[in-house]
Amino acid sequence: MKSDRAVQGLGLVAVLAIVATYILGLWITPPAAVMGNLVRLLYIHPPVAWVAYLAYGVTSVASILYLWKRTRDPRWDLIAASSAEIGVVFTALTLLTGSIWGRPTWGVWWTWDARLTTTALLFLLYVGYLALRRATPDVTQRSKRSAVAALIAFIDVPIVHQSVVWWKTLHQSATVFNASLSPKVHGEMAWTLLLGFIAFSLAYVWMLIRRYQIAVLISKRQEILLQGALDERMSTV
Amino acid sequence: MKEMVAGAEVVGGHAQWKELPPTRRRPPSRMRRRIVTLLPVAIVVVALVAVLYKGLSSALVYFYTAQQAVAMRSTLGSSTFRMEGVVVPGTIVSTVNGVNFSIRFNHTVVQVIEVGSPPQLFQPKIPVVVVGHFAGKRFFSDQIMVKHSANYVAAHPGRISHAGGTS
Repeated sequence: MKSDRAVQGLGLVAVLAIVATYILGLWITPPAAVMGNLVRLLYIHPPVAWVAYLAYGVTSVASILYLWKRTRDPRWDLIAASSAEIGVVFTALTLLTGSIWGRPTWGVWWTWDARLTTTALLFLLYVGYLALRRATPDVTQRSKRSAVAALIAFIDVPIVHQSVVWWKTLHQSATVFNASLSPKVHGEMAWTLLLGFIAFSLAYVWMLIRRYQIAVLISKRQEILLQGALDERMSTV
Repeated sequence: MKEMVAGAEVVGGHAQWKELPPTRRRPPSRMRRRIVTLLPVAIVVVALVAVLYKGLSSALVYFYTAQQAVAMRSTLGSSTFRMEGVVVPGTIVSTVNGVNFSIRFNHTVVQVIEVGSPPQLFQPKIPVVVVGHFAGKRFFSDQIMVKHSANYVAAHPGRISHAGGTS
């Protein structure tokens, strides 16, 4: 299958890009003037956070397309759920890498500033979205409810991003997506950071395709099981 | 007239619902199913409320600047809060219990008595957030948090310019 080979190729490119980011980030790029070697988490933490935003963005678009009657299709619901699952994993990684970075930099693992609090909230909102999907066996009801929940949860994404502007925080202001869109990152450190963004974005696309394929298979299996159960009990003339 | 087609019972040519023998496992009651499905949602809602409560009470006014804190000293009294300022060069003195130093915000300078060890990046001219309370004109702190900027400058700028960097 041509398309499956393309997906395999995409996965391979994503892995190679992540390996290249690690090599550049750990050995090639210089230490930072103030942070020293702690700066090496820069190549992981912002890209991982970006992928979480991207995943929730895709979940929201797919949810809108499901809710809109003209474009309603169960596949949009499966895409939304698949992307949300990846988003939750990447939000957890954002919190984890941020905490690992925060301990030596700030001096604390965790603090209740606006950026960290709204990110924790984001994580819980989408865990709630996934929990809601398991709360009802009715597929149509589940899809509608979760699509609305996804759109409500997405309100927190711009709040997370703007939290460092709207409130006083310990977390620094946006590194890349700042008001002037000019990252203040030095030379090869900037290129490595860019590679990190590309690498993790490719990994996200690969994960989304694979997770969606699994979701389709699960959906088909449930249909077959249901049909089997009905066939077991019913006879036809 | 009864006959069997593919294991199903057909009576007089009409489809019949076949009762299967009961399985050993009893199906869970409706109440139990409801609890099992709604429990994760309930846990998430409780966690959300806890984070909102903790976050709203702390995140909205995460710290006062040294200037604000001095202006509000009588209101703040001996209550514990967070205060931000830049470490004044030449004021850092190590003590038996920790470190003494001053922080500045605009033209306001506050002397800080810190009990405990400062974080790895603590140094002159770096913005910090200290947690503690006023006692007279001095601020007694038991925690220093270093506030890093979003600027990342290489420790070897010469090496970057040779490599075609954008410095």
